[in-house]
Amino acid sequence: MKKNRLYVLGGLLLVAFAGFSFTTFKSSMTPYVSYQQARQGDRIVQVAGALEKGSSSYAEAKESLYFTLKEPKTSENLRVRFKGVKPGNFEDAISIVAIGRYDEKSKEFAAEKLLVKCPSKYQGAEVKSYS
Amino acid sequence: MNHLSTYLSHLFLPGALALWCALIFALCTMWGYAQALVAGDANGGGSASGNTAARTFARRSYGFFAFSIVLTAAMMSLLLMMRDFRVEYVYQYSGMDLPTYYQFASFWAGQKGSFLIWLFWGALLGLLVRRTAGPNEPAIMGVYTLTLMGLLLILVRENPFVMLGKTPTDGVGLNPLLQDNWMVIHPPIMFVGYAASAIPFAFAMASLWRRKYDGWAERAFPWALGGFIVLGTAITMGGYWAYKTLGWGGYWGWDPVENASFIPFLFGTTMIHGLHMERAKGRYRRANYVFAFLTYISVLYGTFLTRSGVLADFSVHSFVDLGISGWLTLLLGGFFLLGLFLLVTRWKEIPTEPNEDLFLSRGTFMVLATITILVAAFVITAGTSAPLLTKVMANPSQVGPSFYNKVSLPIAILIALLLSLVPYLTWRGNKFSDIARKMVVPGVFAVTLTIAAAVWKVHDPFHLTFVLLAALALATNLQKTIGKFQVSGLRGAGGYLAHVGVGVILLGIIASSGYDESTKVTLLQNVPRQVGDVSLTFKRFIPRHGFEKERMEVQVARAGQKPFMVYPKLFMNLRTKQVMANPDVRTTPFQDLYVSPIDFDPGQPRLQLAKGDTGRIGDVEVKFTGFNLQAQGNAMAAMQAGQPVTIGAKLAVTRAGRTTELQPLYRLNPASGQVETPPVELPGGGALIVSGINASNGAVQLEAAGVANPMKLSLDVTRKPLIQLVWFGLYIIILGGLLSTAQRLREMRLRERLAEAKAG
Repeated sequence: MKKNRLYVLGGLLLVAFAGFSFTTFKSSMTPYVSYQQARQGDRIVQVAGALEKGSSSYAEAKESLYFTLKEPKTSENLRVRFKGVKPGNFEDAISIVAIGRYDEKSKEFAAEKLLVKCPSKYQGAEVKSYS
Repeated sequence: MNHLSTYLSHLFLPGALALWCALIFALCTMWGYAQALVAGDANGGGSASGNTAARTFARRSYGFFAFSIVLTAAMMSLLLMMRDFRVEYVYQYSGMDLPTYYQFASFWAGQKGSFLIWLFWGALLGLLVRRTAGPNEPAIMGVYTLTLMGLLLILVRENPFVMLGKTPTDGVGLNPLLQDNWMVIHPPIMFVGYAASAIPFAFAMASLWRRKYDGWAERAFPWALGGFIVLGTAITMGGYWAYKTLGWGGYWGWDPVENASFIPFLFGTTMIHGLHMERAKGRYRRANYVFAFLTYISVLYGTFLTRSGVLADFSVHSFVDLGISGWLTLLLGGFFLLGLFLLVTRWKEIPTEPNEDLFLSRGTFMVLATITILVAAFVITAGTSAPLLTKVMANPSQVGPSFYNKVSLPIAILIALLLSLVPYLTWRGNKFSDIARKMVVPGVFAVTLTIAAAVWKVHDPFHLTFVLLAALALATNLQKTIGKFQVSGLRGAGGYLAHVGVGVILLGIIASSGYDESTKVTLLQNVPRQVGDVSLTFKRFIPRHGFEKERMEVQVARAGQKPFMVYPKLFMNLRTKQVMANPDVRTTPFQDLYVSPIDFDPGQPRLQLAKGDTGRIGDVEVKFTGFNLQAQGNAMAAMQAGQPVTIGAKLAVTRAGRTTELQPLYRLNPASGQVETPPVELPGGGALIVSGINASNGAVQLEAAGVANPMKLSLDVTRKPLIQLVWFGLYIIILGGLLSTAQRLREMRLRERLAEAKAG
């Protein structure tokens, strides 16, 4: 093979990969959205809010944690379902970030991952994640 | 003046003084080396004569600087060991309840301590850098000291020896997640790697600055290899910690903090290959400057991302802003611009060799592999920076692990392909037919393995390609390693051995993360339950004993095998009241059985519920909707009159799908202090009483009788095939790196002896 042709081939491969990365990047982006936007969309997003006191329960049968997030500014509510372990410091959280998508059928936000922000004494406010 | 004295009175002075001395000595070092350079220039370019006095001064200053830093670190350790909680840092990160080794580990639990240990290693390494720097020592040590100055200035600004102005009897304690043996050694090793990344940078920048383009690569090579090994070891340990302790089931989560160490590791990989090319063939001379630059800058950039608070909402262990983001930006921007300036102004002058390689030759494939790794590093950097990149356009977003996983698959396939050909390629170029002939044996091995994988359960064509090429890379490099070993022992086999490790890791990754099986089960005590081919029985709860935390004993039985026990832990951190979970892992040659606790129900018949809360006793679900103060007369009025008070607890009780409203009563006679709690019948058998009322938080305590309520343990049971290969492969890479380093050092000594012989 001629050298120049190789460079062209290599260049094309690089461009193709750059395009592939870019589309993957766009599709796996999880933007912060309001509860309203979260209810409309079918993509993975992040929502943040405070835990509504006393709203959490672990449903053994479904192996899921249920709780309600409250938007501090608008006082909007969002019911969240998280399949997994209840984070240990969950009840003390000052803010919870849920990453996932809205489930139209059960009218719940199905979280795949939780970031729990605690009024931590350790490091100002530390963030821990559970996936 | 008043201001200053208040500031001083709030410092632990011996420590602060040591730190300030370090600053003065660092300035002296740079001044001394600057003098040495000026004198050298006046003398007609870098000869050793004429600048000895200045150089001696600089060397001594550096010695004192390193000593001051060691003293600073010693002071901090001493304060921690004495548990001197007057000092804010000691107060914030340690406590009386910690055993000695965790108390010592609090050193790097916070921001300031992390920067101090980074600086500590940097200062110590500098003593060795000076010895290996050679004729360009003043410039190299000048740049190197400058990199340490950046860290030092942050510490002088954010002094770790600030005192509280009072003496608390106990500290706040160490973050329970960090209370783990791996966390005692993982961070300090990581910081050795970070500190080491500045060394090739200093060699490269000094070489550009002084326009001495020859010889730096050779001297920087062992350092680059050393940094690569240390960083690799630290990353391995971090992954091992995540896997064995955190309990989410993986060793790598593409978290920004993990990426912050992985990106320099990738750039470091390109650098060691580039330096190898320069040493062997005089190639990559321009590229190596860029690689050394990128490796160090990526360390600074990672530090900036994870320490400045820009990712606080996106990362597992990101730190919030301590008011140093300005400094970090300055540090990053300063070194970035400095490096860029030197690269741009010297670019044309750097001597190069024309690339006349054939396609099928070692030279071309090195270029291809380098580009591939660079692309990987840049894509991961872009992903990690997503919150910053998207901030400009819209609301900040991050990209999930799926991005990294999807993007790395083609990269890994390409790397495996390139690696499998490397052992057969020569500098002069090869014929394809020759290579094909040599590849028969490894090829048969790879194809066999791929067929085995397909028979097992791998059906995705991409995954099969992945397995084929990874196995091929493993086999061809192993063949070459053995060949090299037979000819010249371990010498020169290091590189190929590391490539074997890459093949092994790739196989481990695809098997363990693509084909793991996870089941969530809830076990009743002593009732066996079948999960896949094993039967699990929750035997008992073992209470805390000394430093041994609360554990669950679970028996695992497989048909025809001796049953064994696993001990997942679910314990309360006594200080923070956080529930912590530790998995237990049972390793067999072909798979790990990973048992992670989710929830433990001790099966007690008591419940405490706040208004609106729901709890459960056995099969009874109870929701407390509020107190009824009018259950029998007005309770408030009765209380004020000192008469017997009756309060009802309004409960919604659900059993077997049916909800009933119940209202057990709680009667208190304030005169006699007597309490009456008449039981109410539960639908379906058993009874419920109000055993207490907590007036301060409006909660009710309930107790059930006659309700079967066994202990229950919910587990996540995962089977991870071939995950051992990931660790095994990492060990092989590290071993390969060590062999290469030993070889490089041997060569360097040989060359020096030759030079001496010539001079003599």
